[in-house]
Amino acid sequence: MQPDLAGLRGQLEKMVGAEHVGAAPTATVKFRVDGIVPGLVVRPGTQDEVSKVLAACAAANAAVIPWGGGTVMGLGNRPRRADVVMPLDRLDRIVEFDAANLCVTLEAGVKLAALQTTLAQKKEILPLDPPADTKVTAGGLVAANLSGPSRLLYGTARDWVLGMRVALPDGERIHCGGKVIKNVSGYDMNKLFIGSLGTLGIITEVTFKLLPLPAMRAGVVGLFPDLAQATGVVSKTLESVLLPEALDLLDPDAVTLLAPRLGLEAPAGAYGLAVALAGSPETVERQVRDFSALFRDARGRATPLPDGRSVLAWDTIRNVFGLLPVPPAVRVLCKLAVPIGRTGELFASAGALGRRHGLHAAVAAHAGSGIVWACYLVGPKAIPEAVVADALEGLRREAEGAEGSLVLQDAPASLKARVDTWGKPGDGFGVMQRLKAEFDPRGLCNPGRFLGGL
Amino acid sequence: MIAKPLVDDLRQIVGKANVLDSAVDLQLYQYDAYLEERRPDAVVFVHSTDEVAGVVRACNKYDVPFVPRGGGTNLSGGTIPFKGGVVLEMIRMNRILEVDRPNLRARVQPGLFNLELGTALAPLGYQYLPDPASQKAATLGGNVAENSGGPHCFKYGVTTNHVLGLTVVLPDGDVAKIGGKALDTPGYDLTGVFVGSEGTLGICTEVVVRILRLAEGVKTMLAIYDSIEEGSETVSAIVAAGMVPATLEMMDQLVIKAVEESIHCGLPLDCATVLIIEVDGLKDDLEAQVQAIEDLCKAHGAREVRVAKDEAERAMLWAGRRGAFGAVARITPSYLVCDGTVPRTALPKVLRKVAEVSKKYNLMIPNVFHAGDGNLHPLILFDWRDADQKARVMKAGMEILQLCVEMGGTISGEHGVGLEKIDAMRLVFTEADIRSQVRVKQAFDPKNLANPGKMFPLPEEVRRAA
Repeated sequence: MQPDLAGLRGQLEKMVGAEHVGAAPTATVKFRVDGIVPGLVVRPGTQDEVSKVLAACAAANAAVIPWGGGTVMGLGNRPRRADVVMPLDRLDRIVEFDAANLCVTLEAGVKLAALQTTLAQKKEILPLDPPADTKVTAGGLVAANLSGPSRLLYGTARDWVLGMRVALPDGERIHCGGKVIKNVSGYDMNKLFIGSLGTLGIITEVTFKLLPLPAMRAGVVGLFPDLAQATGVVSKTLESVLLPEALDLLDPDAVTLLAPRLGLEAPAGAYGLAVALAGSPETVERQVRDFSALFRDARGRATPLPDGRSVLAWDTIRNVFGLLPVPPAVRVLCKLAVPIGRTGELFASAGALGRRHGLHAAVAAHAGSGIVWACYLVGPKAIPEAVVADALEGLRREAEGAEGSLVLQDAPASLKARVDTWGKPGDGFGVMQRLKAEFDPRGLCNPGRFLGGL
Repeated sequence: MIAKPLVDDLRQIVGKANVLDSAVDLQLYQYDAYLEERRPDAVVFVHSTDEVAGVVRACNKYDVPFVPRGGGTNLSGGTIPFKGGVVLEMIRMNRILEVDRPNLRARVQPGLFNLELGTALAPLGYQYLPDPASQKAATLGGNVAENSGGPHCFKYGVTTNHVLGLTVVLPDGDVAKIGGKALDTPGYDLTGVFVGSEGTLGICTEVVVRILRLAEGVKTMLAIYDSIEEGSETVSAIVAAGMVPATLEMMDQLVIKAVEESIHCGLPLDCATVLIIEVDGLKDDLEAQVQAIEDLCKAHGAREVRVAKDEAERAMLWAGRRGAFGAVARITPSYLVCDGTVPRTALPKVLRKVAEVSKKYNLMIPNVFHAGDGNLHPLILFDWRDADQKARVMKAGMEILQLCVEMGGTISGEHGVGLEKIDAMRLVFTEADIRSQVRVKQAFDPKNLANPGKMFPLPEEVRRAA
């Protein structure tokens, strides 16, 4: 049944105000997903409105795509349908900042950087640091399970979300968890929604656990003639008692992009290893010394970055792929997740792929977490898409052979038609299908974008 | 009673000697550390994933419920076979399959005791962090099922933060490997949903956990107070000062007395409360942290602060804390452990209210708890032979949970819902919230055979209420 979008538009205008509803193509073209221009855009202003809009869309059999900061809309397979897109930017209130209990509750549309500014006033921090934090929203961070370099010390959303409110596909509103840091009352429903990419409902509010702001920060960047020396330092670090916040491995292309911005002089072909440190002055200074020594022992050149410079440097490092000159090319961003000990190997393979096909590329890894990011520039005519697809499938097989995965974080729709975003579903997929059927039986929330077409 | 053909099938699968069905044997499996009892129809000792899958498939064939059992230390009735059926005794699946240092993981079987993993890792310089006080007798499979906590959770998180992959036998007998050694597995986080599901979504037969290097330094201290208020205020003050100790534990006078009488670890008998505070990490700033905490304790009225001078003194302090539940059993034949959790700053108020509840119902309620987490464990003492007392205990317990919820907390921090808190679920969840959890149950276990009758009102009932 084709949804009656004209009729739905009238209903939505009554719910949220006509100025917050727009129709294709003028109002919706900038919200296209994989080239598909949605029929309607609706911007609810409250959590209750989100639920009413969802109920109206469900009644009209219209498929809904939630939209946070829009930074990772390239993640996911091409949607089967895109009738209504729902930006959540008007849900931008901090509901409760309970500094004494180290927790904050906020609406889904609050931007991460804005949140950190508020938290910093009380000397607290949410230690999640995905790229583009001025645009990333709380809801998007959780729904897409975004993370950054400091996941090494602090983990990811699943370690920091205490509770959330969700509007289910039929409009019913539920809450999960709470605001206490230990909670086993019923199933851990937060985990179900974290990383579910809006396929089970729309997250409207999140409660995060917080940390006291570290008293001091610093960094050390090491440059090494060979990859083996850099990965040797990674292994030594992981065997040591040292507690770096982040440990990012950078290939020569990433080093070339970053060096001028970090004020480093990098020899051609050098590999980089950047360390972030946070804590009391005593522990930070000691680790700066220890890492500098570790780097030098491995024939690396060590550059310490003092407090303020380190914060800026890490802001640049976590956004390194934004430095690639994308247009007129198109970028393919891959995220590989493998057991920690296999990081170096996959990092090397990801770099080799780019060189083999003459692609402009950069590779960086959260080396203590087993996460490798590879960004390749393809097109417009440089290399046939089928060749890129084959190469990516080869890299995916290698990651899967190492008990890991490769996910296309961003890619042109035409390439995604050849290479599945997530790879083949593994064990437990039957349960995932039944979960989707229980929560979204008619397949109206982000249909088709998730693993196995969920 | 279950049908004889099922018992015959079970004997086929695990061998005759590994199936118990005599009344005397079954009686040993009808209870855990909660107050209810229900006898299973058969107990099966399992030794492998294949055996577990076989037993579960057989139960499916005859529509008979099944419940996995680890150490039996569960405090909320999670292990009690409420609808009868088959209990799978997991305790013989107790091997460490792999300590994978380069990947910072260990792969273990679910019947392994929590402490045994720690003991095996320590000489290698590694640790597995969640450390429930019952770690000597609680299994890792049980920890997974209950999402167990422990004293070190304030800094390091609970079981779910350290479990990265599972092999599970689903309620239909299918075997699935979910999550794994790598992070961010594509798809829904089934591992995260499974941890804490109290045996109602299937049975885990292998666990992949994160291991961490042992901290370079640890300092443990004991702060002694003449007023319980001052002790609980100190907890918030330490956190407000920007410090994240590994533990912030508290015991009140009744508990101290019981502990001292049974363990003799040198606790003062005349004080109102003690805090056990531990800081760990790089050794460079530990002395400074200890000094800062000592100053805060004194500023908030501590009459004395002792710092453990060596490992032996530290072990003594922890023996007292870990032995607290056992020691309290000296006072009366039974007790009900409450497990409410509140935002940390509400602790002084909730402690006052618990004292009022104690007076109102004329019951002794000693208190031992994870103050840093806001997770309190009032132990309501009674004699199970006295029906009137037991009725008062249940009312008092519910009233304490209600207080926790009113202060922004919840009904269980680490012991689970099980049988005990099914009714209390409605204190924190709406019907819609509960229905959404039942949807998860339906997706995993449409026939409702995995540990039925736990956690929430029956699915049918919730559906009817819709």
